[in-house]
Amino acid sequence: MLNYIETGRIKIDKTILNNNRVAYHDPCNYGRKSEKLFGYGYYKEPRLVLDYCVPNWVDLYPSKDNQFCCGGGGGSLTTGYNKERIYYGRKKIEQFKASKADLIVTPCHSCHGQFNNIKKEYKIEYLKIKYLWEIVADAIISKN
Amino acid sequence: MNNNNEIIDISNLDSILFKSFSFFHNFCITCGLCSSTCPASGIEEFDPRKIVRLVSLGLEDEAVQSKWPWVCTMCGKCENLCPMGVDITGIIRKIRGLREKNKIPGILQNGLEAAIKTGNNLSLPKEDFIYILEDVANEIKEEKGFEDFEVPIDKKGANILLTIHNKLVNTHTEDLKHWFKIFYAANESWTISSENWEGTNWAYFTGDDDSMKILCGRIIEQMKRLEIKSLLWPE
Repeated sequence: MLNYIETGRIKIDKTILNNNRVAYHDPCNYGRKSEKLFGYGYYKEPRLVLDYCVPNWVDLYPSKDNQFCCGGGGGSLTTGYNKERIYYGRKKIEQFKASKADLIVTPCHSCHGQFNNIKKEYKIEYLKIKYLWEIVADAIISKN
Repeated sequence: MNNNNEIIDISNLDSILFKSFSFFHNFCITCGLCSSTCPASGIEEFDPRKIVRLVSLGLEDEAVQSKWPWVCTMCGKCENLCPMGVDITGIIRKIRGLREKNKIPGILQNGLEAAIKTGNNLSLPKEDFIYILEDVANEIKEEKGFEDFEVPIDKKGANILLTIHNKLVNTHTEDLKHWFKIFYAANESWTISSENWEGTNWAYFTGDDDSMKILCGRIIEQMKRLEIKSLLWPE
């Protein structure tokens, strides 16, 4: 995806998210787990994609290999232990609030599902959740 | 785990009792960094250090029957800090894998068995899958700049094979569109397999290595069948 943008195969309109404050969440499997299993954590690449697509984005704190898990990973969205999963998510809510973001971007189905699920529980429904590839797709300038 | 104050027999404590591991974990120095950083610490008295202690002491049954390995998300924050390099998420996954299949919580085992049997977690028939993809493709065609969009199914020799998360052909079909549009705009040669397209692998979560291998192997089979060299596996 980064390659498509850098080589000009897709053209991006960077003004789409002009009015949003965006924060990026590192999924465990892109970061710590990838680093452990394959020797490389994907921290840099998604941030470069954000640089191309978003005028105003910030990191959550802490971030990268110290990032807090969404709380929905490892199958926990499907174990039925929902009370426990929602409680787990409290750390993310603290991070989101501190970042003052109104849009969270992440490239993971589990994180995406968990955030959409817990935002109701913690009464922060204003928060939008998007996939990394979603903000790229939204910003594409059509070739025709 | 021991909410009722039942007494655990500790007369035979021996790390070798935990036979399912090929190595011991009694080199843990019980510093507690793992527990301090874990967002799940405190859930039903869970914390990662206790799991490592159970394993070190050889209390296999207690660990396997406990809810603890299932409230952990295996996020790896604990082991990232561990000064001794204890493979905490590996321990958790191994313990999960020792649970009797019919006692695995929630829908994990059902979804996994459906995937092994039918090729996807939903048991969605091939014709329904294709119908959904084409329906979404027709919606994309209505958008300006995407009028001649087509979804390529089983295209031999494409550059990229895309796997699909089952929720995208179930309740979240809108989210199928993003990658479709990116590929279209980039003039990429890509395809989706009509069989064994499932991108999720719940055996990863249940600690079932045999099933995990079967599901991964099927994706490789599709790449061979369609003569494709690159895989995009967003799940």
